[in-house]
Amino acid sequence: MRHIIKPLFRHRMMPLLVVLQVALACAIACNALFLLQQKLVPILTPDGVGHPERLIVASHIVPRGAPWSTGRLYETEQALRAIPGVSSVSVAASLPMESNVRVGGHVFGDGAGTKANAAVYIGDHLAETLGLKLVAGRDFSAAEQAMRYTSIGVNDNGPTIITRALARRLFPDGHVLGRVIRIGDAPDAGRRTVVGVVAHLMRNVMGQDNRSDIDYSMLFPGIPGNWAMPSFAVRTSRAAMAPAVLKAVGTTIQRELGTDLVVGIEPQYQMYAGLREAMLARPKAAVWLLSGVSLIVLLVTVVGVMGLTSYWVQQRTRQIGIRRALGAKRANILRDVQLENLLVVGAGILLGMALAYAINLWLMHHYELTRLPWTYLPYGALLMLLLGQLAVLSPALRAAKVPPVVATRST
Amino acid sequence: MLDYYLRLALRRCRQNMPMVLLLVLTMAVGIASCMTATTIFRALSGAPLPGVSPYLYVATMDAREAVDKDNPDYKKPDSLLKLSDAMALVDAHRAAQQVAVAQSLTQFASTDGKKSMQVYGLMAYGPALQMFGVPLRYGRSWTEAEQASRAPVVVIDTQVAQKLFGTDDVVGRSITLGKRSFRVIGVYAPWKPRLQIFNLGQNAGSSLGQDENFFVPAQASLDAGVGPFSSGECGKSSDTPVISFQTAAVSHCRWIETWVRLDTPAAVAAYGQFLVGYANAQHDAGRFAYVPHAKLYGTQDWMAVHHVMPDDVHLNLMLAGGFLLLCLVNVAGLLAARFLRRQGDVAVRRALGASKRAVFVQHLVETGLLGLLGGVLALPLTWLGLWIVRMQPVSYAGAAHFSPGAFVILFALSVAVGLLVGILPAWRICRQPPALQIKLA
Repeated sequence: MRHIIKPLFRHRMMPLLVVLQVALACAIACNALFLLQQKLVPILTPDGVGHPERLIVASHIVPRGAPWSTGRLYETEQALRAIPGVSSVSVAASLPMESNVRVGGHVFGDGAGTKANAAVYIGDHLAETLGLKLVAGRDFSAAEQAMRYTSIGVNDNGPTIITRALARRLFPDGHVLGRVIRIGDAPDAGRRTVVGVVAHLMRNVMGQDNRSDIDYSMLFPGIPGNWAMPSFAVRTSRAAMAPAVLKAVGTTIQRELGTDLVVGIEPQYQMYAGLREAMLARPKAAVWLLSGVSLIVLLVTVVGVMGLTSYWVQQRTRQIGIRRALGAKRANILRDVQLENLLVVGAGILLGMALAYAINLWLMHHYELTRLPWTYLPYGALLMLLLGQLAVLSPALRAAKVPPVVATRST
Repeated sequence: MLDYYLRLALRRCRQNMPMVLLLVLTMAVGIASCMTATTIFRALSGAPLPGVSPYLYVATMDAREAVDKDNPDYKKPDSLLKLSDAMALVDAHRAAQQVAVAQSLTQFASTDGKKSMQVYGLMAYGPALQMFGVPLRYGRSWTEAEQASRAPVVVIDTQVAQKLFGTDDVVGRSITLGKRSFRVIGVYAPWKPRLQIFNLGQNAGSSLGQDENFFVPAQASLDAGVGPFSSGECGKSSDTPVISFQTAAVSHCRWIETWVRLDTPAAVAAYGQFLVGYANAQHDAGRFAYVPHAKLYGTQDWMAVHHVMPDDVHLNLMLAGGFLLLCLVNVAGLLAARFLRRQGDVAVRRALGASKRAVFVQHLVETGLLGLLGGVLALPLTWLGLWIVRMQPVSYAGAAHFSPGAFVILFALSVAVGLLVGILPAWRICRQPPALQIKLA
């Protein structure tokens, strides 16, 4: 070991440059990969919507002046329901994958002392129209669906259906059905009794990714009142009918509400799949960017380490020749060069990890980022060590090929 | 001497093309990523209204008149005021200039009803055109008397004039706005703030400013039934909507912002005190439900509070900077190896009388040349990077354009990079004692 470490201190520049390079690459790649993993969360999380190819979403339907009455919205909903091929229709305050309107906030598990930040979707027949998978309890009854609120409905009492993830968070003891969730911490906040649990339903806040609460959603039945940004969800009975229904939804809404629409905002009618695609385009683009950056960073490092090591080996051709002449085997030389690389790269990794953590702490302080998990570090270290070994392979093999006769030459 | 070094450098570059290509490419990728991030950053930073906005301040206070049980805390500064409060602030004339403005999206029609267009503009109380430095081409802005008498007058930009009348100078003609006919008293060249500054509280996620097609006195506009685009904050009683759009029934809402121009720090301090005094008086009189925390915000601070420049842009800039640093270390290492391989040549030069300085300069010239080559190669790569950004679904995609100023930065950056990566290797090589090297060679 000593014969490997000692020369490193005698000729400091080359090993130092490798250490510096590995440290920088490590710090950049760790943070970039961490950001990348966060951007992946909304892409990989199930949104809970069943048969998206049969779901149509009408949004950006904004009234000029006073909002439409719940009666008017109900009539529009009935008109949509009359379109041939439509199996279910909802009018809602907000919908998944449509982030212009977001309803939600802190909710509290009554008697459990728990708290969570959840999205609230208020609308009639939502579980059916969105195609959510009920895993416990029941869907809302017809009477519950027929509720009409005077305001949006957040502060009213009534039943609710929540996601399994939210149920686990608010009621860790497992008893969920029949429990009460308070919507906000005001003394007269709305109280909602859980009647059902669905497998998944993604919230429509996408800004801060990697949030454990991305699947924390609640459904309230009924039609929101005094609400200036209603959306409609329309489910068709067969996917093949979707294009025709999509067109009919547009004409129906234009007929029912067109005279009162604001100037300058066009209502949007789209398939849910398209909406999802548009919503996820940004995190997807970020994933491409960050993976591209990480790849180039690693590539540049490998090439750099390779270049430096091959010079470093070439410099010592004569010494290697002498060692060979004194009886060192090829395997010994190979192992020594690899071990040296391991040491230098290892030092770089240690420095890089500290740097990565410092950068993460700084970013956390200044931006809305979460802490870099410790579990990242060993993986990152292993990856860098492997890349280091890959970079050193060709110079090491060249070193091992140095014949003992070199020792006798003068250059 | 310099051209000799240059010829030497070129000759040496030709000797090992793959290595030179690798060095240049690494520098080019580093420079290009940095240039791309810098271009976006530059487009989204700086003054939204050059020469004007550094002196502009927006008034903020907690002006809620009813207790809000769900959100009792005043977490974020709020610039929206009732028209009465905004008018009181403007009419006090405590600043060099002051106006109240609100964004409006509405429809203009020619009086015969044959032509119409959607327009985006500002409802204002006070001399908005003068304060924001809007370039008037024809006519004038409204007078105090016109404003006080709620005269139906409007100032439009040439785009509207062209669309509705087919010509620029349309002073004196009329336009239908809402229920009334408005007389055009002025026409200005298309104008927009570089970056979004108005009504930021409700414009979350937009970064770039957009054309303001018209300015209209706020009260005349309300009289005609044309209100702000969004009714702003209207309280939370159950019989009024939380928010509504394009309504002139906003008397119970907070929907308009007050901007003031203050030229000296002393004026800023004095106006800040006046603002606090005004807000506290309203609170003491029982109008404002909460302690108002009134505060003035400079334009840049105000944009920072609302993240007009998205965090992504900062993060990408840092990422690009880190990447460039990595490329620098990488190239410095490869250059050191490249130079040290030539120790023999250098030793001969030294022995023949070249000073350390001459050797140092010779090698710096070589790395500077490589840096320049990297810069040349970085140009198409930067263009590619900006093209990729333009394809992204981000609010600032429109800002990703190569600007003339960027050429200067690119040139400076590439030379700086070339010299920076050269310093360590060049210093290392000129430090070699000549005798030993000759012996070895």
